[in-house]
Amino acid sequence: MAEEKSEKPPAADFTREITSRLGGETIVHCYQCGTCASTCPVARTAEERYNPRQIIRLALLGQREEVLKGDAIWLCASCYNCQERCPQKVEVADVIYALRNLAIREGIIPAIYTEFAAGLTSEGRIVPISKFLEKKRADSGLPPLKPTGIEALKKILSATGFDKIMFKKEGVSQ
Amino acid sequence: MTVRKGSFRQSKGKRKVRAKVKTMEETKVGVFLSDCGGQIAKILDFEALTNFVKGVPGVTLVARGSEFWRGEGLKTIVDAVKAKKINRVVVAESIPKISEVAIAKAVEEAGLNPYMVEVIDLKDHCAWPHKDTPQEATEKAKAMLLAAIEKAKLQEPIEKAEFPAVKSVLVIGGGLAGMQAAEDLADMGFQVYLVEKEPFLGGLAAKAVRFFPTDDCAICIQSPTTNLKAVAQTSRKCVYRSGFSEIPNLNVLTNAKVVKVVGEPGNFHVTVERKPRYVNEKKCVACDLCTSVCPVEVPDEYNAKLTKRKAIYINKPLVYPPAYAIDAKACKFHECAKCVEICPTKAIELDQKPEQVTLNVGSIIVATGFREYDPSVIKEYHYGEYPDVITHLELARMLDAFGPTKGVPVKPSNMKPAKRIVFVQCVGSRDRRWNPYCSSICCMISLKHATMIKEAFPDADVTICYIDIRTTGREHEYYYERAREMGVKFVKGRPSEIIHDPATDTLIVEVEDELLRRLLELEADLVVLATAMVPSEDTKELAQILGLELDQDGFFKEYNAKLRPTETKRRGIYLCGGTVFPKDAPTTSLHAHSAAVKAAKFLMNGKIVKDLKVAVVNGDYCGNCQFCPVTCPYGAISLEPQGNGHFVAKVSELLCEGCGVCVGTCPVGAIELRHLKPSQISAQIKALLSVNGTSKPLVLAFSCSECGHAAVDSSGMAMMSYPANVRVLRVPCTGVIQVQHILEAFKAGAQGVMVVGCKPDGCHYEAGSQKAKQKVEMAKVLLKTYGIEPERLEMLNLVFIEGDKFAEAAKAMTERVERLGALQLA
Amino acid sequence: MTSYALFLGCTIPARQPHYELAARKALTKLGINLIDLEGMTCCAPPPLQSIDLETSLAISAYNICLAEEADLNIVTLCTGCFESLAIANHLLKEKSQLREKVNKILANAGKEFKGTKEVRHYLQVLMNDVGINSLKQNVVKPLDKLKVAAFSGCHLLRPSELLRFDDPERPRVFDTLIEALGAKSIPYKNKLRCCGGLLRGYADDIALAIARDKIVNAHNAGADCISTLCPFCFLTLDLGQMLIKTTYKEEYNMPIIHYAELLSLSLGVEPKELALDFHKVKIDKILEKIG
Repeated sequence: MAEEKSEKPPAADFTREITSRLGGETIVHCYQCGTCASTCPVARTAEERYNPRQIIRLALLGQREEVLKGDAIWLCASCYNCQERCPQKVEVADVIYALRNLAIREGIIPAIYTEFAAGLTSEGRIVPISKFLEKKRADSGLPPLKPTGIEALKKILSATGFDKIMFKKEGVSQ
Repeated sequence: MTVRKGSFRQSKGKRKVRAKVKTMEETKVGVFLSDCGGQIAKILDFEALTNFVKGVPGVTLVARGSEFWRGEGLKTIVDAVKAKKINRVVVAESIPKISEVAIAKAVEEAGLNPYMVEVIDLKDHCAWPHKDTPQEATEKAKAMLLAAIEKAKLQEPIEKAEFPAVKSVLVIGGGLAGMQAAEDLADMGFQVYLVEKEPFLGGLAAKAVRFFPTDDCAICIQSPTTNLKAVAQTSRKCVYRSGFSEIPNLNVLTNAKVVKVVGEPGNFHVTVERKPRYVNEKKCVACDLCTSVCPVEVPDEYNAKLTKRKAIYINKPLVYPPAYAIDAKACKFHECAKCVEICPTKAIELDQKPEQVTLNVGSIIVATGFREYDPSVIKEYHYGEYPDVITHLELARMLDAFGPTKGVPVKPSNMKPAKRIVFVQCVGSRDRRWNPYCSSICCMISLKHATMIKEAFPDADVTICYIDIRTTGREHEYYYERAREMGVKFVKGRPSEIIHDPATDTLIVEVEDELLRRLLELEADLVVLATAMVPSEDTKELAQILGLELDQDGFFKEYNAKLRPTETKRRGIYLCGGTVFPKDAPTTSLHAHSAAVKAAKFLMNGKIVKDLKVAVVNGDYCGNCQFCPVTCPYGAISLEPQGNGHFVAKVSELLCEGCGVCVGTCPVGAIELRHLKPSQISAQIKALLSVNGTSKPLVLAFSCSECGHAAVDSSGMAMMSYPANVRVLRVPCTGVIQVQHILEAFKAGAQGVMVVGCKPDGCHYEAGSQKAKQKVEMAKVLLKTYGIEPERLEMLNLVFIEGDKFAEAAKAMTERVERLGALQLA
Repeated sequence: MTSYALFLGCTIPARQPHYELAARKALTKLGINLIDLEGMTCCAPPPLQSIDLETSLAISAYNICLAEEADLNIVTLCTGCFESLAIANHLLKEKSQLREKVNKILANAGKEFKGTKEVRHYLQVLMNDVGINSLKQNVVKPLDKLKVAAFSGCHLLRPSELLRFDDPERPRVFDTLIEALGAKSIPYKNKLRCCGGLLRGYADDIALAIARDKIVNAHNAGADCISTLCPFCFLTLDLGQMLIKTTYKEEYNMPIIHYAELLSLSLGVEPKELALDFHKVKIDKILEKIG
């Protein structure tokens, strides 16, 4: 069903906003043990820029602006180590997706995601396949690609309001 | 009143014939109306009440006075009983809960069965809540009196019974809790059997070396108070020299497990299986010659496999008994028998066989303790794979000067001293993947071990990685301070992984130091996991044998931790110590003494005397549906085979608590309560609804005798106002209510029905109010099909302090049924 | 002959036809019938989940519906596709409320998720449908001199509760399949850690640093190559070495090779049939070792 751009809720309700979204339900179980941060390959490589425990802490303290407008939520590599090892079964990676979903609804979206969305809505693939490459398949002995279900996909995207979500294309604050 | 021996269930199910109940003579009801110093007469018209009561058939005496539960008033009742003018007593008295007891006692002494007494409260249940409508209150009072009279007329005498109470106790588990409880009871003169599954007593205490927060020896126990001449009287002693073993009446059975329990509380028959020790405890002088010739070496599990031991062995520190034992899995027996040859007292008996012992005990105390969770499932910590990752019990063995490394913490991989030691807290605790609860003692244990290490090796590098430090007990905070003063380091963060670096043979602990906001890689020679504390191995099996419940974490369930600690739903079976939940030593000791007192109280008279205020089955009606044994919270109902493949339900008079949940469950009415028969329920329903006299439609409220009735009491005591058309019928537990009772109430003239019980998780009889709720839901469905608005029926769950909610609900129900109009019944 | 609906996803046909080629040849040789269904789209992996989880779930479900209609189980090559589709399949089978919600969306496209089919990764097909013994018997060129740093990537294993592919802390499936080809799967530091691939395009510096760690660890353990299952991992580690050269001034010459390629080679497929020029880091050393 179509989702209109919602009014900004008060910061104190940020937790509820997250838990009511698909993926964000388990954020409230977090007791800040730091296992996720310790096991995160991104945190281990660039800890000043990314710490999943800290993102959750900021979110639970209601710091909506800082979380959604920040650079950090885009730095998760979706490796799921955190979710695998969390002793409270917080779905950390899914919570990050939920936060990204919220940020995009505010119009905050890194360029690369716009590209992915464009590929999806035009061709049904996030990485478009050039006609040149398609022709080259036969040379290697690969069968021709079957057409994608772009028409059906468009109906699905319209039903969920995906196209409306993508209406703003601002950059992200670093 | 006669006192007769109660029937008791022997393992074969035979019963003694019961004494016949005397046939009923003509009922003569005496009604005594107290006006509380004339106060409630200001509201209720006592003349009208007296006249009304005089007109009720069966009433032979009516008296009015200020009080009837003591003094002159009580004498009036007693005289009437003695003169045989009355054989039923109905009293309208305030605070019926206490006055009931006094009146019943006096009546009994005067020669009448105390259950022939019915007391109602015209003050809190009538005069005060309805003081604004005195006429209506008086009409209600008439109905209340009528109901009490009709109930009393139908009441038959209820006898007392005696059940045997053998003055002996079985204590299962020879650790700290078991030893303390056993000692108390033996000191008090009970015959005590202390059954321990290992060859030696001591449990976890024997391995733990020291106990926090005093750091005293773990095997120190309270001295027996029995007069043992060889032992000086002091507050405490090491077990081995305390004279514990010499307490008369204390029988210690090691290598023993309980396999079967039959019988009833006060008279259990327990079968214990004993594995052979192969060493005669009476002959062994613990000289150690046997180990010097034994050719078999096995890893010593007791000492965390850090050393080896022989097939014949004794554990140190020595607790009890001071006799060696043979490990049957390792020993070569007659193929070798070198120890037999060398033993100077011929104590080794390789031909010993397992034996079964039957014990007759009056009560049982379960003290099986807890054990460490096996952290190998938490694969990121590599326990079991990396030898240098160990648990607290394993470290404790190292730190024991008696132990395999003589007090030095070492790396098990090469047995070299460990200089850098990292503790990891909450391993498998507070973890939804493994054990969601906090194991309560591990923070203190880590602090204990950390400080023990720092004390002996001040240059050791000791770090504790934690989520929270929980030091909640007395003196525990000072313990934490001391650890910091001694230089123990603390990192707030839960390690995500432990990695072994083969190049440096070091363990790397990956953890975020949250306070520093820095990701660390701590280097360690030894990593100690503060692993969770979980129920002992055989808990499930023992729970089955004893018929006990386990809680959601697998520990034995206490009846009610606040109000009935150490008790279980099985009378005569008690719990103490870590078997209920992990505890430290002082709390365990407390719990053990508490259980001993309960067990002693239960048995001290040598018999259990009980009023037979219980449920009875009419065998002719019993349809063998088998619902009632399942619903009884006390396991008091069993199924007796009738020989033709049928079973009939039978209620144990000793175990039955008289709640009536079985009555509420039986689909054919084959069970009834002696103190509330179906005819009595019907009579009260009719009586309470027979007199209206108010401007409003009648509402009947079934209320349990516990929290529900307390809420009704308190609404009156606080003089909250609700209309007098609301009439209360008291039952033992709302679980006794059947759907038909609700329909009967509507048929008898109620326009609305309320059911008032305890909170769902607070029912005094376990799940009675929950079952009542189910019946109410069913009744609503039926009402709807009959074309009756289901809103006319309501269930409330209240406690004493919610009397205002009762008053509100009574008012709301009245308004509701007024709005709905009169019931149209076909 | 077992049939599967082959799910190709986006990245493999777009960037790594050599993966597809090797997989088709190998699986066909082993008796698996791969059917290309019409109408498949992107699987809705993390990049789309980041935009909207609900839409992504619907898209994944849509693709599964196509397989249900064809009465075929799905096999994927890319582990990312495996994860999105397998998790969607699992969640929608288990949670009726979620399923109702998604089916309402799918109704717009004339589809209904019924939960009748399975989503498998081709390693599962090798283990269960082909079987280790049969696989071993089909190996004509055993890779017995090859030391392989097995790298399955993240999305084959985690989140393990939903995927249930293998033990997430002690996985054995991938290593077993590598050793079935005669090669040796060697231990190396942080074997199960992510390659950083999904950060490419947003934080290339961090992505590169993480990738470099992986290459260094495999190198230090003496690996002849790193074997991958995920096209993103391949790209990050293969192309990544070009960037490591320019950014860190380090050269490791660590061949990155998909398991499907190793499989094909060991089954006797000629190197020239496998479009091996798609590898940025030349794999001549491996081909020599295989002989």
